[in-house]
Amino acid sequence: MSNLSLTAQSALGGIRRDFEGVSLAEVGGHALVSVATPLGGGERLAKAIASSYGAKLPTVGYSSLSDNGRARFLGLQPDQMFLLFEHEDDEALAAVTGQLGDAGYYTDQSDSWAMLRISGPAGRTALERICMLDLHPDSFDIDAVARTTMEHLGVIILREAADSFLLMSPRSSATSFLHAIETSIINVTE
Amino acid sequence: MSESSRVAGGLVDRTKPLSFTFNAQQLTGYAGDTLASALIANGRRLVARSFKYHRPRGIFTAGSEEPNALVQLRRGAYQEPNTRATVTELFDGLEVTSQNHRGSLDFDLMAANDFIAPFLSAGFYYKTFMWPKAFWEKVYEPIIRASAGLGRLSGAPDPDSYDKGFLHCDLLIIGAGPAGLSAALAAGQAGTRVILADEDFLLGGRLNAETHEVDGKLGSHWAAETAAELAALDNVRTMPRTTVYGAYDHGIYGALERKTDHLATSGDKPRQVLWRIYAKRAVLCAGATERPIAFGNNDRPGIMLAGAVRAYANRWAAAPGKRVAVFTNNDDGWRSAVDLAARGIEIAAMVDTRDIAPLAGLPGALIAMGARVQDTSGRGGLRSFTLSGGQKISADCLAVSGGWNPNIHLTCHQRGRPVWRDDLAAFVPGADLPVGMRVAGAANGALTLGASLSEGWTAANEALDDLGVAPAGAAKPKADDEPAAISAFWHVKESSARAWLDLQNDVTVKDVKLAHQEGFRAVEHLKRYTTLGMATDQGKTANVAALAIMAECTGKLIPETGTTIFRPPFTPVPIGALAGRARGKDFRPYRLTPSHKWAADQGAVFVETGMWLRAQWFPRDGETHWRQSVDREVSQTRASVGICDVTTLGKIDIQGRDAADFLNKVYCNGFAKLPVGKVRYGLMLREDGIVMDDGTTARLGESHFVMTTTTANAVGVFRHMEFCRQCLWPGMDVHLISATEQWAQFAVAGPNSRQLLQKIVDPDHDISNEAFPFMACSEITVCGGTPARLFRISFSGELAYEIAVPTRYGESLMQALLSVGAEFDAVAYGTEALGVMRVEKGHAAGNELTGQTSARNLGMGRLVSKKKDCIGNVLSERAALNRENGLSLMGFRPVNRSDALSAGAHFIARARNAAMENDEGWMTSVAFSPSLGHSIGLGFIERGHERKGEVVRAVDLVRGKDIEVEIVSAHFVDPEGARLRV
Repeated sequence: MSNLSLTAQSALGGIRRDFEGVSLAEVGGHALVSVATPLGGGERLAKAIASSYGAKLPTVGYSSLSDNGRARFLGLQPDQMFLLFEHEDDEALAAVTGQLGDAGYYTDQSDSWAMLRISGPAGRTALERICMLDLHPDSFDIDAVARTTMEHLGVIILREAADSFLLMSPRSSATSFLHAIETSIINVTE
Repeated sequence: MSESSRVAGGLVDRTKPLSFTFNAQQLTGYAGDTLASALIANGRRLVARSFKYHRPRGIFTAGSEEPNALVQLRRGAYQEPNTRATVTELFDGLEVTSQNHRGSLDFDLMAANDFIAPFLSAGFYYKTFMWPKAFWEKVYEPIIRASAGLGRLSGAPDPDSYDKGFLHCDLLIIGAGPAGLSAALAAGQAGTRVILADEDFLLGGRLNAETHEVDGKLGSHWAAETAAELAALDNVRTMPRTTVYGAYDHGIYGALERKTDHLATSGDKPRQVLWRIYAKRAVLCAGATERPIAFGNNDRPGIMLAGAVRAYANRWAAAPGKRVAVFTNNDDGWRSAVDLAARGIEIAAMVDTRDIAPLAGLPGALIAMGARVQDTSGRGGLRSFTLSGGQKISADCLAVSGGWNPNIHLTCHQRGRPVWRDDLAAFVPGADLPVGMRVAGAANGALTLGASLSEGWTAANEALDDLGVAPAGAAKPKADDEPAAISAFWHVKESSARAWLDLQNDVTVKDVKLAHQEGFRAVEHLKRYTTLGMATDQGKTANVAALAIMAECTGKLIPETGTTIFRPPFTPVPIGALAGRARGKDFRPYRLTPSHKWAADQGAVFVETGMWLRAQWFPRDGETHWRQSVDREVSQTRASVGICDVTTLGKIDIQGRDAADFLNKVYCNGFAKLPVGKVRYGLMLREDGIVMDDGTTARLGESHFVMTTTTANAVGVFRHMEFCRQCLWPGMDVHLISATEQWAQFAVAGPNSRQLLQKIVDPDHDISNEAFPFMACSEITVCGGTPARLFRISFSGELAYEIAVPTRYGESLMQALLSVGAEFDAVAYGTEALGVMRVEKGHAAGNELTGQTSARNLGMGRLVSKKKDCIGNVLSERAALNRENGLSLMGFRPVNRSDALSAGAHFIARARNAAMENDEGWMTSVAFSPSLGHSIGLGFIERGHERKGEVVRAVDLVRGKDIEVEIVSAHFVDPEGARLRV
């Protein structure tokens, strides 16, 4: 047994770039865990989420925040949601199990997705160049979430605020994704 | 040259003079000019040469329908040929050259073609160059190719960038003329999301070219005010310089926005953006295009469409001639004479084919009613024309109007058929429109201003009603309806000289008659035979008159004759815009393994496997050939230990009470009883009994499994299992999610692999052979607490493991493994060594799992359990898949050990010819085996399992190889598998 310890690396090295009217930053300090609803166990899971996080079970296409604002459930498909929460160590699954017990099936996705936040008044204009979804507030309001593709890459997009979107794309292609988003921003800003 | 033909007024900005060159001649213009209007203002008439006959040509129209004035813009790599001067916005420093001539534009040597015109009639190349046959490729074709084409590309890569994008709206309004602006006002004021797109840089359409009034204001002023009002609305996006070029399914439209074409440089921003617009409803307000009348020598510079002539005078203050005549068959032609006269331009004559009372008094002009223009003269440009009665009239500009064709193109992009209206002598949109589309204004046949404004307003309100949006209740813009009567007149029969229909392709009335005479009478045949309606203008000014003449020839009505199919794009779209960013390294995204950066630092050579970039081998100093690196990696792994990043293998996390039963159904071998802490090889069949994929699945808990798939099939297997879960067995409690990206996974293979791993696995996890035997798995920790998963599985055939850590630790783990492995001389190996070792071991991979092979072919027929039901089980019993002489996966080694085998070679019996009927199978994978010292191969051969020791030929006709090979076991290395279990 050596005394080696392993060093963690974020998907994009903690990048942050500011453009005229748009900021782009990798989001760190969060864990992402998929929560699947056992067949017939929706009610039990909803109760567990309500009692432990103070959050509602999100409908597909929307997200719901915990009462302390530090965890968000993203409704992605009828029997699956992602739980995004502030977390630092490697024990994300234990943290969720500690809250929800065996009410759901959990899979750690923290290392599966690179997370980028695009914010600022020109963010939506930049996303027009790459995102086929309608991001107008009438169609995609705050807390809305969707799976889509951008430049051939799978993306989960969440509107956190009027001018702030969280983008998650597979980690292995994160550099291509970052390049695509940066190109979109550069193409629409001075 | 000064702007000798510039007149007063217009919508050009005289405070912003611009300078440009045409064939190196310095010229001037103003902001607001097009290249065409500036050339006219400078008195330039000859601007181009025609395609076939190299006839002198001038500017013919004032819009995107221009067939004549094609020029080359800019220079060097930025040079763009075949650009229409009529839609090129003038900017300071624009460099323009003419094209399609040898020698100068004024003295084009190729104009000799005009003298041999009788030999160059429609379809001449189909029948003229038939003999001798050998001359076609060597003589005729090179000559024709050298002569054909218009402008020239630079030959250099396009230095501009392009982009794409996606827009959404409730209502897309295509065209910002009177109908479009009216529609946009109605919809914009109602608060709905509107996109208003127009190909012009100035919104207003014909309002900017006319002198009509709207709501008591000059039309161009009303248009400017309305455009400003719309721009101030948050819910309206006005997009000038944007052509909606195609109507696609479900309310999706393609649009090209020219972002920087009007600027001297793009400033590193995309030159053009190709938009996909999702519209709940659309109103097509694309206006109408004027068409000419065909008469003798009607193609000379100075002969123009009448609406264009007054557009140049009214909008751009550029007089196309000093002494202008008009030839018309409709009321609209008179407006050109009246407007030009009002600007002080001399009107030489007003020639109307209709024998009616004159519509206006034109002092000093000859008014000829019921008359026709028969011929013209003027070598470099019009000097005079002759009426059918013989009267010769001098003029330097002849404005021709044969009526207006509604721009129905987008209504037909989904096979809608237009209908003919006799009162307009034109096609209008039929009832079968693309979903959600309405048509308004001139595009719908409402050719007068009042009607156009009204139709736009109504169409928008109808669309609002569809969408459940209340109208704003504002006042509808109003205008008078101007006279617009027409009497169809297509060509002057008295003309004996050539009369042009399609100016861009040099198609004449005679060519249409020839097509009829030779049997090419259907419009689509007419188009192909004569080239009518092809190229950049797609016959916008030519088609209707041509098919009217064909109708005359065949004795049919015009609607019976029909139109050719309208297809996108409405106007040309550069290939660069269609490609967008997808060029060079941005052609597609790359997936990088967790150890990519480390591998790159080691000088690894990478290979693309799907979107992944994988290390293929790791060259070391002194190695000059890839085989040296690969042989070393294999030998060192088999001798001690090697490490390979296998993260790319698909990983699927499977959980649920019914997860084990689910796996038992999707795999053909049993999984229901796999104990927790064990891994099993699994083979997956398709419904038809053919092998879909293979891999291993580990049971981490009673209701928790992790499946690995091949790299290539990771997505396909996941999709298949989702289908099974959701559609086949929705009553099962089973949940899938990809974990491919979550875990960085490394193969650690070789006799010293355990010793190496024991140095990083935390001591509370016993991985001895007894505690952690072959096919064991466990969730462990490494390097002082980092969570990890360990699987004792082997692809190489050695004692081996795969170890996985969260991806964030992947690179660090690779470094740690190599670091602690130094004492064992551990080596990193790439996909090439991985492939060599799996061939040595006889493991099937992509080359064997082709989607055409069965479990039996692979020697795994007994794996298909008959004790249970699973996908593919029943159809795997088909007779054809169970023939006694079926293919078996076998090993092959060259009889002469120094021969190199090649994949793709086919097996032929020694005494037989290398022909299809003697084919017995094929070589799927080959490798040089450093363990054996010679080339080895895997392949499928009939009855292979009965034929060990037999020698056959491996014939590779493509590479010219014919090698004798011996059929052997596929397991070249450690066939008993003893190494796996030590």
